[in-house]
Amino acid sequence: MGMLAWTMMGLALWHFTIFLPDRHWGGIVGAFLGALIGAIIFGLIVNGFSVPGRHDTHLLTAAEAIPGALIGMALVYFEGVRRERAALASPS
Amino acid sequence: MTDRRRNFLILLLVAGLLAGSVAAIFAKKARLGLDLKGGVQLVYQTKPSAAQPVVTDEAKQRAVDIMRKRVDQVLSGGTGTSESEVSLSGKDQITASLPGVPNAARAVKLLGTPAQLAFYDWESNLLGPNGKPYANGVSPGLLATDPAAAQASQAAGDVSGGMPLYDAVKTAAKRGVQPGQASRRGPEFWLFDKGSSHRLLAGPEDTRKDLIAAARGGVQPPNSQILVVQQGTVVLQATDQNSKKPVAPGDPAARFYVLNDNVALFGKDVKDPKQETDSQAAGSPPNVTFKFTNTGKKEFHDVTRTISQRGQQLQNPTSTGGQPLTQHFAVALDRKLITVATINPQDLPDGIDGEQGAQITGSFTIQSAQDLANLLKLGALPVNLKLISQSQVSATLGKEALHQGLIAGVVGLGIVILFLLLFYRVLGLIATLGLVIYAFYFYALLKITNSTFTLPGIAGLILTIGVAADANIVIFERVKEEIRAGRSIPAGIAVGYKKGFSAILDANVVTIMTAFILFVLATAGVKGFAFTLGIGTIVSLFTAVMATQAILGAMGRSRLISQPSALGAGSQGRRWTFDFMGSSKYFFSLSGVILLIGALAIGGKGLKFGIDFESGTRITTAVTKQGTTENDVRSVLASSGYGDAKIQKLSDKNLGPTAFQISTRTLQPDKVATVNQQLDQRFGVPQGKFSSESVGPTFGQTVANSAVIAIIASLLVISAYIALRFEWKFAVPVLIALMHDLLITAGVYSLLGREVTTATVAALLTILGYSLYDTIIVFDRVRENVPRMPRAAFSQIVNRSMSEVITRSAATTLCTLLPVTALLLFGGQTLGDFAFALLIGVASGAYSSIFIASPVLTHWKEREAVYTSRRHRLEDENDGKVPAYATGAAGHEVEPKGPRRPSGRLTAPEPEQLSPSEFEALKRNLDVDDAPARRGTATAAPRQARPPRTSSPAARKATPPEPRSADDVAENEGMSPNPKPRKPAKPRNRRHGRPR
Repeated sequence: MGMLAWTMMGLALWHFTIFLPDRHWGGIVGAFLGALIGAIIFGLIVNGFSVPGRHDTHLLTAAEAIPGALIGMALVYFEGVRRERAALASPS
Repeated sequence: MTDRRRNFLILLLVAGLLAGSVAAIFAKKARLGLDLKGGVQLVYQTKPSAAQPVVTDEAKQRAVDIMRKRVDQVLSGGTGTSESEVSLSGKDQITASLPGVPNAARAVKLLGTPAQLAFYDWESNLLGPNGKPYANGVSPGLLATDPAAAQASQAAGDVSGGMPLYDAVKTAAKRGVQPGQASRRGPEFWLFDKGSSHRLLAGPEDTRKDLIAAARGGVQPPNSQILVVQQGTVVLQATDQNSKKPVAPGDPAARFYVLNDNVALFGKDVKDPKQETDSQAAGSPPNVTFKFTNTGKKEFHDVTRTISQRGQQLQNPTSTGGQPLTQHFAVALDRKLITVATINPQDLPDGIDGEQGAQITGSFTIQSAQDLANLLKLGALPVNLKLISQSQVSATLGKEALHQGLIAGVVGLGIVILFLLLFYRVLGLIATLGLVIYAFYFYALLKITNSTFTLPGIAGLILTIGVAADANIVIFERVKEEIRAGRSIPAGIAVGYKKGFSAILDANVVTIMTAFILFVLATAGVKGFAFTLGIGTIVSLFTAVMATQAILGAMGRSRLISQPSALGAGSQGRRWTFDFMGSSKYFFSLSGVILLIGALAIGGKGLKFGIDFESGTRITTAVTKQGTTENDVRSVLASSGYGDAKIQKLSDKNLGPTAFQISTRTLQPDKVATVNQQLDQRFGVPQGKFSSESVGPTFGQTVANSAVIAIIASLLVISAYIALRFEWKFAVPVLIALMHDLLITAGVYSLLGREVTTATVAALLTILGYSLYDTIIVFDRVRENVPRMPRAAFSQIVNRSMSEVITRSAATTLCTLLPVTALLLFGGQTLGDFAFALLIGVASGAYSSIFIASPVLTHWKEREAVYTSRRHRLEDENDGKVPAYATGAAGHEVEPKGPRRPSGRLTAPEPEQLSPSEFEALKRNLDVDDAPARRGTATAAPRQARPPRTSSPAARKATPPEPRSADDVAENEGMSPNPKPRKPAKPRNRRHGRPR
């Protein structure tokens, strides 16, 4: 159940990337993967690499995914920007 | 062959099949499932046995065959006319559906019992409280010093000499693995309360994991202990010869013996078992007689001789005069001692000759003796069976469910027909005709294939009504489009069907694939739904495409459809100018907020899982005594030890004004029968108003696992199909949209606190297939428009495609939601659960295909060099903004030239008729454009793609243009914003459109 909550939260936050300039590495799909993977990994880290079961999932479990999703999307975004700059800087 | 002749032949085929269908419908009787007819359904899990250490497919099939025989020859009284079904389901399950069987307890006993008969040398195997044999090698004189042993020996399996279950298991658990011909392979696990009562909490199970799963709540209770009995030791329950009722192992009154599990003979050595009467005993009680096979005879004789000789050597320490000690031979059936026969060494010094066979006496009724004889006759099951789910539906409730399902079906069909007639007029009439033909074919096909009609099957049928209507809508919208574009009505019909078919095929193939996966992986109830959905979709492809095309084609030049208005194409129709892609951020935000709320709900409230996943027993019953309260019901249950049950008063018109739902831990069928009896005695239970469902913990786990596998398999198959039919980049938005739909449905379930059942899982899997319908319609048009609009930005192509298909998408969604709503309103509780998930999923699917999948595709595709450069050019031309719809040069359309393939057409082609737009395109291709100033000329200067832009359009204008890639060559990229007026074209000598 914890995994479901994290995935939902990651997906929910990803929807708001539409307001950002499309500079994510891999575009909107890259942001999607960043949000989901970030949410899940952060959730796992917070919970000591275990997934909360049905009876251990609470409101905070869903909220635990927020920083992870944001970090994941931010990483993908800055990687996109870095690659963009590198492409501009290259002599070709 | 001309089109006319082809249409005639198809109509002839349709009429022939219709006549055949009507004949089949009247000739064959409908086969109703348990949920509609009432009866018992049992789901067993196969487990290894001593005879079958590994459960093979062959062993499972043999078990099914034996169970079928038990149903046909025992349960249905040997008539062989039973409509019962026993079949393999899933990886390791056997499902028995027994319509019209009122006694669940007897069905369970007859079907699931392994019927493993085992003969033991009583004295040499009986163990004392210390876990060691009393006889200890049968040395003469030993028993003379051991009165306790003699007492246990002479008790001969009676309850008086046995010990409580906990003591017996504890004694057995002290021993290690023992050699010998054991009746059981591997250890067995027991869970007991540690308190003074030593109550049995769960077991015996084959593994520790199964034991914990079988415990209440799926966890080991705090004050409990697990005892393990190794192979080679068996705990057998004593039979009270005076008791008429069987005593459950967990009953404190039950007594047990511990034996060395060294079996002398098995049931396979027995033949010709019969129920007879023991004429020598008082009252001639029923017994079971049997003979031995050749091997059995010898073994029986050998073992009885050994027993007798031992008796002669031993003196009874409790008797005077040194009488030989009477010895015994025990017969156990499935861990219960059914008889312990006496062998008097004086009367039978050479044992018993197996020629005469033997008899089993005990506290039999005629029925139970007949059942045992039949079980022995049909043989033991090669594998062990564990009952993991059991449900009992009364015939009355089943009939009411059927009634509700039919009403929902009729209402659903009615409103779909009404919608089609209002929206498409004559075309709607033809679609209605197609639907009626579909209904006949479908019903006949189910009867011909001897399919069982179940509630989920009815849900599948109603859904396929929507699917069949959707196919017609897709084609009719296309036909209207072609007619509005200026084609003649016959040409519009021909082209409309041709162009609409690819989208229908893609959508239906995905639905069929999902149905197939569901059918292969799902549990029994959901299988019915998957089957009807799959068959229905295939049949609807025939009726909605071929049949209606032939009907329309046949009447193509008739007066009835001589006017476009008759087809609903009189006006130009609504032209959508909404900026779908530009507004997508608002729809994304809406979805984001819904999912955010859903995620918090999942975290805070979780999902409310039904009995299918939670395990337990749910009893639904009406009572006749008015004013009965939950507390009254609880007091009755408390007397049976179920005071902790959840009791809920129901308001169900089928059950009457006073009805209750009782949820408690998993009860065996005999316990359910006891509860029924007690409620009836106290409050009165009307005939046919009592139903129950029991689910073991493994069943829920199996359902959940198969659902996860089905979802993953469906997603993979769908992705592969979309990638093959479109391109791989189209598959990713589809997956994201599907995830969106599933999670939104889960969020809604959590928010509303609705129960998640197996029906919900089936509905979710259906959503996977069905929510693609709209996405495929949109993507199909995008795919079609991409080569048509070689200068437009991708967002403009998608906007154009959306504006062209949005009416169609809305109509198909509505057409599916209408019957689903009928299902929700009129389908009763089971179908209502199903319909609710479908309603949310289908609505979310339509929304996501337009507002999630398409924008994601747009964003992703616009990163491709070709679309980036188009966008840059358009921004340069339009002050930094890309218009929502392609205008001017960007809006210029060309007719794509696909690869020429052999037509494979069997019929003569229609006379060429061009629509005005095609005529214009043809003129342009022939370079005879009458307005050359409107168009630019293509330049062939090769360019490289720009690197990603980081500056504003204004800044970009200041910088010199960068070299571009060859991707742009075909796009008129070099077209000047102010093209020079062209010189008037000189007339050229042409042939077949090419300059000479």
